[in-house]
Amino acid sequence: MELQLQDLRKQYGEKCAVNNVSVNLAPGVYGLLGANGAGKTTLMRMICGVLKPTSGNIRLNGKTVEQLGEQYYTHLGYMPQDFGFYPDFTAREFMLYMAAVKGLDKRLAKKRTENLLHMVNLSDVADKKIKSYSGGMKQRLGIAQAELNSPSILILDEPTAGLDPKERVRFRNLISDFAKEKIVILSTHIVSDVSYIADTILMMKQGHFLLQEPMSTVTDSIRGKVWELLVDERTAAEYSRKFSVVNLHHENDMVRLRMIEETAPGEDAQMVEPGLEDLFLYYFGEEAGRQEER
Amino acid sequence: MLVKYEFLKIVRKKSTLIVMAVSLILTGFLFGLPIMQYQIYNQDGVIKGTKGIAYEKEQFADLSVPLSEEYVAETIREVQGLFENPDNIGTDGNEQFLVGDAYWNGIAPREKLLNLIADTYSSPNDRWGYNHLPDLDVKEGKPFYQAMKGKIQTLLDSPSRALSDEQKEYWGGMADKVDTPLQYGYYGGWEIIISSFELLMFALLAICIVTAPVFSGEYQAGTDAVILSAKYGKTRLTTAKIAASLLFGTAAFILHVVVACGLPLAAFGIDGWNLPLQIANTTVPYPYTFLQAVLINIGIIYLVLLAMIGLTLLLSAKMKSPYLVLIILVPILFIPMFLTPNGTTGIYNLLLFLMPYRSAMPEFDKYISYQFGGLVLDVITVRAVFYAILTVIMLTLARLGFKKHQVA
Repeated sequence: MELQLQDLRKQYGEKCAVNNVSVNLAPGVYGLLGANGAGKTTLMRMICGVLKPTSGNIRLNGKTVEQLGEQYYTHLGYMPQDFGFYPDFTAREFMLYMAAVKGLDKRLAKKRTENLLHMVNLSDVADKKIKSYSGGMKQRLGIAQAELNSPSILILDEPTAGLDPKERVRFRNLISDFAKEKIVILSTHIVSDVSYIADTILMMKQGHFLLQEPMSTVTDSIRGKVWELLVDERTAAEYSRKFSVVNLHHENDMVRLRMIEETAPGEDAQMVEPGLEDLFLYYFGEEAGRQEER
Repeated sequence: MLVKYEFLKIVRKKSTLIVMAVSLILTGFLFGLPIMQYQIYNQDGVIKGTKGIAYEKEQFADLSVPLSEEYVAETIREVQGLFENPDNIGTDGNEQFLVGDAYWNGIAPREKLLNLIADTYSSPNDRWGYNHLPDLDVKEGKPFYQAMKGKIQTLLDSPSRALSDEQKEYWGGMADKVDTPLQYGYYGGWEIIISSFELLMFALLAICIVTAPVFSGEYQAGTDAVILSAKYGKTRLTTAKIAASLLFGTAAFILHVVVACGLPLAAFGIDGWNLPLQIANTTVPYPYTFLQAVLINIGIIYLVLLAMIGLTLLLSAKMKSPYLVLIILVPILFIPMFLTPNGTTGIYNLLLFLMPYRSAMPEFDKYISYQFGGLVLDVITVRAVFYAILTVIMLTLARLGFKKHQVA
């Protein structure tokens, strides 16, 4: 199984949302990271065939989407960001409806619906209308519908957005369960979510990939550049102006600064192990800050 | 399976139930109004509502006869006899009328029939009542059906109608197919239905309101991405959505028609279903009975509905919100209500008679025809063909619109 994106581009007037993206994806979990507006959702929509690329093409096992036709969609499971439900349907009806749209026969549809509702812990409320569901329950139903056709490509756009920490952990575990033997593309700007489950990190900025690295080596590029330093508040303010401070933590009257710099920013600075969040902030710095403010 | 779920999506919405309930109540009220407002007079005063209807039907009991030449001549002579007695006559300064017992016993029970006979002898621009019957010289031989044919010919030859020879021949040929002598009788319920057909436009609007979110509702709710990325999202699902909309439209339409026709027929009775349209107006060229005429016009309104559902779905597939769909649709349905035809020929009039609102009105007596080279078609046929073609085009475009929809 190989999904190839070749020079994929999406242009809206003057603005290029996705700029000649090329990547070959084999089974595994891909964490798609980027600030808001980086082009993640646009890229995912193109992969799912709901948005036509301006140029470039998508191939599955060497065949283009056009060549595969309906067949392409049998490999897809998609959970879009903020996607709506039919509030007057029950979860079971919604799943059966989606199974019909995905072309599953009646018996298989029923079986998959029961199994998946059980997996996402919605069996007890399967006959309740979706409008009575909490945000977390809706997200779980969202991933359950994406899994209905046992897709070999699972696309999840910000699946953990708006969930509380407990629900996020639960959701991450679900994704891990579903990910076996699949190409899973998981977009998020919650870095900790992907750091737990992704095999490969795809980092996007202004429509193109900045980085395509396995999770095990993704932080290598900033290894030896992440520093921590304990200073008083006045010095902390000075450091914040001069250096790239990625975290700031108050400890009594002192402040612990975490910075990314080529060389030690101060005599007492200690080199520390870089994390995915450091990498994210290293690349997105101000953008990520703006995102947090939003 | 998909059709079932799409149908459920439509009917489960609270808004669907509210819109349908309001529309059915409105249709019931509009078609029930003639029953509530019905009144007839006799010597003792006014008789209203269902009692009035029963009284009128009683009056018609003796009038269920074939309008043979002899019967018509005898009827004219009877009225003339009443006018011979000066004590029976009153005047409003211009015209003479019968008064007192002569009117209540000799005219009132059959005034509709007498007016029909008198008006058959009038010139097209006049409207004659029974008081013109004394002017006719029955002895000279004034055959009723000859007068009927003559009046139709005068209408066709009228320069203001500007009909071509082919059109005149078409209408003349159609009028010749009317069986004579005409069978007379009571037809109160059918008359109400035929004159109120355009009120079904509110039902059409209600059905369009309900179907407006079929595609755009998916865009608005954000479900478009999920369904369009599924195997049948761009193919069978689109067909299912269209089928469910048509199914819902048909069911809702039948419900409205049952209310619209059921109320007048329950109150006035089904009497007259097999009587010819000409007993209401002898210049009607269509050789239909009241039942046939009503069924044909219901068929036309149904085709208009299908085309309007098609248009609604097309707009729905192209627009991001059901409200935008309605902003365009409502004027298309209702602006023609405020446009008046200034004749029966010319592009403006011919187009106006094809508009949805006008198409709901049967216009059986207007001689509206469309000529394509040597081929002449009456307005009913053209409406049927026009809306059938429009339905196919609209639904095809709606299908394409959804298939090509980009989730952006």
